[in-house]
Amino acid sequence: MLFSKSFRQGVRAAVPVWIAFIPSSFALGMAAKGYGLGMEEIVLMSALVYAGPAQYAVLEPLAAGKTALQIIIATVLMNLRFIPMSAAMAPYFRRVGRPRLLWASHFISASSFVLPYVRFQQEEKESSSAGTASKTSDENLSFFLGIGMTAFCVWVAGTAVGYWAALSIPAGFEEVFKFILPAYFACILVIDLRERMPAAVCVLSFLVAVPAALSNVDWGWMLAAIAVATIGWRIEEWRRA
Amino acid sequence: MAPRLAIIVGMALVSYALRVVPQLLLTGWSFPPAWDRYLRYLAYALVASIVSTTLFISGGQFDAAPAPRRLIALAIAVAIAMLTRSAVAGMFTGTVVALLLSWFTAGA
Repeated sequence: MLFSKSFRQGVRAAVPVWIAFIPSSFALGMAAKGYGLGMEEIVLMSALVYAGPAQYAVLEPLAAGKTALQIIIATVLMNLRFIPMSAAMAPYFRRVGRPRLLWASHFISASSFVLPYVRFQQEEKESSSAGTASKTSDENLSFFLGIGMTAFCVWVAGTAVGYWAALSIPAGFEEVFKFILPAYFACILVIDLRERMPAAVCVLSFLVAVPAALSNVDWGWMLAAIAVATIGWRIEEWRRA
Repeated sequence: MAPRLAIIVGMALVSYALRVVPQLLLTGWSFPPAWDRYLRYLAYALVASIVSTTLFISGGQFDAAPAPRRLIALAIAVAIAMLTRSAVAGMFTGTVVALLLSWFTAGA
């Protein structure tokens, strides 16, 4: 299954995901070094957690020795978006055996979700209009794994390379460690945001996070972000109604 | 305080659970679009908050001295990203500006 035609098609389709993962994983590795984490810690985190924003969110609390509860809650909040992604893909893997499904689930990420999901939907539409059989669940899973597994390898390797590169950065360049990852995420956000309300949510969250974090070091920024997201979302839903 | 590796394993377990549970239990269940939108808003808000706190707070204190130059470098990074539609171009330009400003203000 791993080197089937569908898997190879997935690998070819994954190239844009690799390109996106290289700078972000590199920046994560560098930032981890800046926060004083060990190479084995950040590489293990990339391999086991495999979720860029969540990993980024916990670097500072982890380095500062914050409680496990706080870090786990931040991880859950950051990764809640996996639920709709995973649920959306589940029907396309319906007949896949459970052990393979358990294995493949680890490779679900925001970047490796969009490509296979859009393709599965297109193929389903085309096969229903042509009256032909759609791809099997195993073929779908192979295609997904072609993207997910290779992107995962790029992510883990990129983290290690970023950390390794940070080791050779001389004194006086520490600002790079502090700045590179937040700059990357800020740039991703502004490119991604096309609608007014999500943009407003981001700007407001950015502005209130510092005073909120200063008022409550452990939970302030998180509660402020939840509050801003909830208010923005309610306004958006009210406008849609 | 739990050791860091134990916390990382804990993070891994909850992340995996969020990925695998829908595969096992939610097959064929369509996620309400409004919930989907809320989770998207939540992710945006959390990321924007972390950008702000990691740039401007250190050890629970407001980093007053580097805050203006980091804000300038961030604004340049974001402007470049918007102009070029490339996050990498924005990140590298902003990081170089941040570094140069940190040297300039250190020497001033």
